[in-house]
Amino acid sequence: MTAVAATLRTAVANGLANRNSFWFQVSLMVANDITWIIFWVLFFHQVGNLRGWDAHDVIVLFSILLTTAGVALGLCANSRKIGQLSADGALDETLTLPVPPLAHLLSTRVDAANTGDLLLGPVVFLLAGNPSPERAAMFLFGVVAGSVVLIGFLVACGSLTLFVGGRGEQADLGFNAILIFASYPLDLFGGATKMLLFTAVPAAFVTGVPARLVRNFDTPEVLLMVAVAALFALIGWGTFHLGLRHYSSGSIWIR
Amino acid sequence: MNPYLAGWRLGFLRTIRSPGDMSVRIGFFAIILVVMTALWTAAVDANGGSLQGYTRTSLLWYVFAAQTAVLGVRPRSVEEIGDEIGSGTVAVQMLRPVSVVGLRMSIDMGEACARLIASFTVGALITWLFVGAPPSLPALGLAAPAVVLGCAANIASCHAFGGIAFWLLDAKASWFFFQKLVFLPGGMLIPLELLPRPLELISFALPFATMAYVPGRIASGHPDPLLLLWQLGWLVALLAMAGAVFAAGERRLQVMGG
Amino acid sequence: MIAIEARELRKTFPVRRGEPVEAVAGISFAVEAGERLAYIGPNGAGKSTSIKMLTGILHPTSGDAAVLGIVPWKKRRELAARIGTLFGQRSQLWYQLTPRQTFGLLGRIYRIPADEERRRLARLGELLDATQLFDQPVRGLSLGQRMRCELVASMLHAPEVLFLDEPTIGLDLVAKARFRDLIVRINEEQGTTILLTSHDVSDIEQVARRVIVINHGRLIYDDRVSVMRRALLGTKMLDVRFEQPPASVEVEGARLVKLSGAGAKLVVDTDRRPIRSVLDDLLDRYDVVDISVADPPLEEIVSHIYARPV
Repeated sequence: MTAVAATLRTAVANGLANRNSFWFQVSLMVANDITWIIFWVLFFHQVGNLRGWDAHDVIVLFSILLTTAGVALGLCANSRKIGQLSADGALDETLTLPVPPLAHLLSTRVDAANTGDLLLGPVVFLLAGNPSPERAAMFLFGVVAGSVVLIGFLVACGSLTLFVGGRGEQADLGFNAILIFASYPLDLFGGATKMLLFTAVPAAFVTGVPARLVRNFDTPEVLLMVAVAALFALIGWGTFHLGLRHYSSGSIWIR
Repeated sequence: MNPYLAGWRLGFLRTIRSPGDMSVRIGFFAIILVVMTALWTAAVDANGGSLQGYTRTSLLWYVFAAQTAVLGVRPRSVEEIGDEIGSGTVAVQMLRPVSVVGLRMSIDMGEACARLIASFTVGALITWLFVGAPPSLPALGLAAPAVVLGCAANIASCHAFGGIAFWLLDAKASWFFFQKLVFLPGGMLIPLELLPRPLELISFALPFATMAYVPGRIASGHPDPLLLLWQLGWLVALLAMAGAVFAAGERRLQVMGG
Repeated sequence: MIAIEARELRKTFPVRRGEPVEAVAGISFAVEAGERLAYIGPNGAGKSTSIKMLTGILHPTSGDAAVLGIVPWKKRRELAARIGTLFGQRSQLWYQLTPRQTFGLLGRIYRIPADEERRRLARLGELLDATQLFDQPVRGLSLGQRMRCELVASMLHAPEVLFLDEPTIGLDLVAKARFRDLIVRINEEQGTTILLTSHDVSDIEQVARRVIVINHGRLIYDDRVSVMRRALLGTKMLDVRFEQPPASVEVEGARLVKLSGAGAKLVVDTDRRPIRSVLDDLLDRYDVVDISVADPPLEEIVSHIYARPV
């Protein structure tokens, strides 16, 4: 475990090495996020209420999304890159070290821009989320569990590249799908789509259920989140390790 | 063959030949349509079936056309222009006897046309499946050239914006702001009529509305030829701006070195 | 003691359209501890694939291997703690940080006790003449300087075997020569087994004592470098300087390759006539001011081997 923690610390140091560049990227991301908040404000200004959701609710949802994405894409920036790294033969350096490969990969890169999300998310929650100790606790829990689900999902999508080849296009699609769906209130979707969001594309567990938990603490839902997080962690870990057997390193010219 | 036509053809063929990339973009587009349908259906239902004159159907055909127009442009185009200026690639391109910006835009337009053919057809099919026929078939027909013109205006302004890199050496910031300008005052995320009045007026004064709003408006059942004229006007202005920025930038390179 | 052993290693890559490609087609060899082995072949010969199987990165399609008695793809992490790798086209050093910061991280990863890490760093820095580079950001180092620090990084945990994959790529001639010298020093001082892949023939001449040549996934030559020279081309090169420019140079058993002014180059077929008698003849019949005898360039020998039917 110390090796992984040391790696993460080094990755942060590497990302922060150029202070100016780091803060510049963070501010770009923050500006980007604020645009979305403006959109929602304008939207609800016109539309009013949306199946029980108002601007305030959606902004809380958004703060959860930001923080969770910040962890998955900012701190563990390689979670979304597994497909590309596999195709490029870039797993070599990890595989020559005496470390658990997935843990190492996930701790070895920190993305400055997405770290901006990680910083802004809690701020938005504090400002717009009526933070009480219970709500804050659920926010934290939701973010942690949601991050595990998101990372597990992204790793699984990326690991498919090890099996089917290509350059990680399926991973990109999965990535876009889950983030787009997670940006909108769950209650907008009905029937088949909603089913999808609770299963194959677990956007519901990235923002939907955590947002519900922030509104109302509910033990069964907490346990459900824990179970789903464990499940996706296992799916991600499993697909990756099974995929390693098919890893072809730098031989992409063959494909 | 005219070099700009050759450039267009290059961009077009190059894009047609990467089906993997195309299918991901179409998948992405389909997801957006699913989500937008859910969002605006709920929005319209909560407001008695109509929002500022848009019904559920017309609103979703708006979204279809607006999104198609914007998705035709390769993302990060502005950033790439900035990178190529910063890295000196543009300086090399200047050695050729054609307009650098003209050739770049021709290639980008070729790529866009390839993408648009796929997005327009697939997107229209999906939208038809979700919400039924468009409010007016002639309007849908007119939306096609509007989408192309909107895309062209987008590409031209990418180059005008990206050209800032001749002075700043980094266009990353401009890409972000540019994209946001297309999203909001451009009308991609929300029809301009739904914005508060002051914002609506500002948006109509800016060129971004021709990139997303106009194709969307036409497709939503308003086949007004004046809208196309508006697009054409801004397109010419933006092309001139892009040309001027690159000319000034190239002169600067020649004087100051790479 | 055998450090590396491969038995009928085979690796086939599936291809989307067409026949699967056999990158490595049944390679067998054994390397003693402390040896310096060059593993050479043209591009696409299967060198990198072989190394990657021996380091546990790739799973072979069939066959066996053991490095330090461990099967690489089965106990990858256990082996990783005892071997070092240096891939010429990939960096272990964090770009924005100093080499020392990377070394600190590696110390944690390889669980090196702090004082031992300090000691080894000092020794390696001295041995590789790199101590003055440790505290400069990697992005500011030249390629040659960076490669020396990479070598420190690869050796920090005192591996028993060091695998180097095209380590001199991109280095200029001086840096290459220096780097090769450092590898030899490491082998001599620390007893590390060295397996070096390359398509640069000078890597063999200066580093290796033994060479394996691989082509089209098969092992086509395995012997000491000195033997390779002698066995494969029974020729010697003569470089002669005469007192006066001769009209012609004719010696039995030698073929004139070049005559310019007072200098001449000859090739002697030592199978036909021993070099000694050629020299005697030359010295008897001509006024020779200077003469040198050399082996044919290794390039020629290796090309000769590549061209042999597999």
